[in-house]
Amino acid sequence: MNIVRLPADDLLPTRYSLLSRLQDWDDHASWKEFFDTYWRLIYSFALKSGLTDAEAQDVVQETIISVAKDIQKFKRDRRFGSFKGWLRNLTRWRIADQLRRRQQDPTVSIETMGADSPEGGPREFPASPEAEQAWEDEWRANLMKVALESVKGLVKEEHFQMFDLYVLRQWPAHKVAVTLGVSIDRVYLAKFRVAALLKKEIQRLENTELKVE
Amino acid sequence: MSAPEESAEEPAQRPIIAEHELHRLIGVGSSGEVWLAMNSIGVYRAVKIIFRKSFPWPKAYEDEFQGLVRFEPLSRQHDGLVDILQIGGNREAGYFYYVMELADDVETGQNIYPDFYEPRTLATDLATRRQLPIGECIRLGTPVASALGFMHRNGLIHRDVKPANIIFVNGFPKLVDVGLVAEIFQTRSRVGTEGYIAPEGPGTPRADIYSLGKVLYEISTGKDRHAYPELPDQMENPAVAHDKVRFNKIVLRACRSDPRLRYRDAEELMSCLLSFQFGPRGPFAGRELPYLSMWINIGGIIVMLGVILFLALRIWKLLR
Repeated sequence: MNIVRLPADDLLPTRYSLLSRLQDWDDHASWKEFFDTYWRLIYSFALKSGLTDAEAQDVVQETIISVAKDIQKFKRDRRFGSFKGWLRNLTRWRIADQLRRRQQDPTVSIETMGADSPEGGPREFPASPEAEQAWEDEWRANLMKVALESVKGLVKEEHFQMFDLYVLRQWPAHKVAVTLGVSIDRVYLAKFRVAALLKKEIQRLENTELKVE
Repeated sequence: MSAPEESAEEPAQRPIIAEHELHRLIGVGSSGEVWLAMNSIGVYRAVKIIFRKSFPWPKAYEDEFQGLVRFEPLSRQHDGLVDILQIGGNREAGYFYYVMELADDVETGQNIYPDFYEPRTLATDLATRRQLPIGECIRLGTPVASALGFMHRNGLIHRDVKPANIIFVNGFPKLVDVGLVAEIFQTRSRVGTEGYIAPEGPGTPRADIYSLGKVLYEISTGKDRHAYPELPDQMENPAVAHDKVRFNKIVLRACRSDPRLRYRDAEELMSCLLSFQFGPRGPFAGRELPYLSMWINIGGIIVMLGVILFLALRIWKLLR
C-alpha cells in the first residue's frame, strides 16, 4: 500500500510562520493559504448569525481585509489575545456592520453579537455563552474540514474513499470492503493511516495559533 | 500565415465577418467574444472573435493565431472536434476570428431561434441534471477521449478540457474552444481552469487526460471537481454502487497525481471506457489489465518450476 507521507519537517515551520508571512501584502501564496483555511469558518458563522448568502460573502471579504490591515498591530500588541479570539472579534464586527447596513439604522442593537466597532486598541467583548459556543463549534468544524481537504491530497485516492465510507459515512467495514471490492484488512489499514494523518494535520493547524501567542 | 497585425485599440464598430451577418453576442471569454451569426445561405454559425487587446504581449496573440491555423484542418477530420469552417481577421482593428458549427440550443436542439438561442454544453446539461447515468458518461467520454487522442497524435494539446468546452452538435459531444489549443510542450501565458488542471500543470497529453478524468468524475458522481475523490452519495443502492465503483476505477486512473500512473494516452482511456460499455468479455476487454502484475505472476511460476527442476535433478544425481 502506497501512502504519500506528510513531509512534517518541511511543512511545519512553513505553517507556523504563516501569520508572520501575512505581514507581506505581496505574498499572494500565504494570503491564499490563509483564505482557503478560514473563509468557510467566517462564512458559516455569518450565515448562522442570520445573514443572507450575499451578506455572508461580504463579511468574508471584509474580515479578510480587516486581517490584512491589522495583522501587524495584532502581532505587536499581546492584549489582542489569541488568534482565534481576534479573528472571532473581527468577524463579529463585520457581521454587525452588515446588520447595521441591512436595517439602515446606525443605532441598531448588536448586543447579541457581543461586539463593538474597533477603534484603537483591543477591547473586551462580553459575548453571550451561546455566541461563544457557536464560534467554538464552527472553529472545530472548520478545522476538521480544512484538515480533511489537506489530507485528501496526501493519501492515495482509494484510501481516502475507504476512509470516507467507513469513518465519515459510518458504513460497516465489511460493507465498504464488499462495495469497493477490497479486503476488510485494507479498509482497516486505510482508516488507520488516514486517521493518523488527519490527527497530525489538525495539530498542525492548531499550532498556527500557538505560534502567534 | 500570420496573425492580423496587432492594434491596441478596441474595434470602433462591430467586427465584420466575411459572408456572415452577426446576430447576437452569445458568450464572452477572457480572450474574446462568441457571436451567433448567419452565413450567406441562411445557415446559423458561431463566430469567435479574438481581440489583440486581450493578450498581454504580441507573441501570445500570434501564438493563439498559429495554434488555430494548425488546428483548423484537423478539426474537420474528427467527429469529436468542433468543425472550424473559416478563419479571417482585421489587421487595423486588432482582431481575428473563426467561424465554427453551431451548438444545439438547450431547449430546441437544431431548431435555432436567434433571439432565444442558448448553446447546449455539458455544463448546461449538468446545471439541470447534476449527474448522468454511467452509460451516458461512457457515450460522452469515449468520443471526447478519442478526439483528444487524435489531437495528441497530431502534436496538439487542448489545455482546457472542462464541461463548458464540450458542446453538443446534433446531440453529439464535441470539444470546443480551440483558444487554448497549443503545440505540445509550448509555453503559454494562459492556463486552463482551476480544478481541471493537472498537479504538474497543463501542457502535456497526460494533463489533458487528467482534465477529462475530472470531467468524468463530475458527470458520474454529481459532485464538484473539488470534492474529488469522494464517491457519489447514492452508494447505498448495491445495483447503482456496482457500476459507480467500476467507473470510479477509470476516473481514479485518469486523475492520478503522478502523471506516470495515468493512462499512457487518450486512446487507452478510450479503450477502457469501451471495454466498460461492452463488459469484461467485450472486444476491448483486457487493455486495462495490470500487465506488470500479470508478468510478475508468470515470471514467478517459471522461477518456481526452475527451482523444482533444479532440486529434482540434484536429488536424482545424489541418488545415482
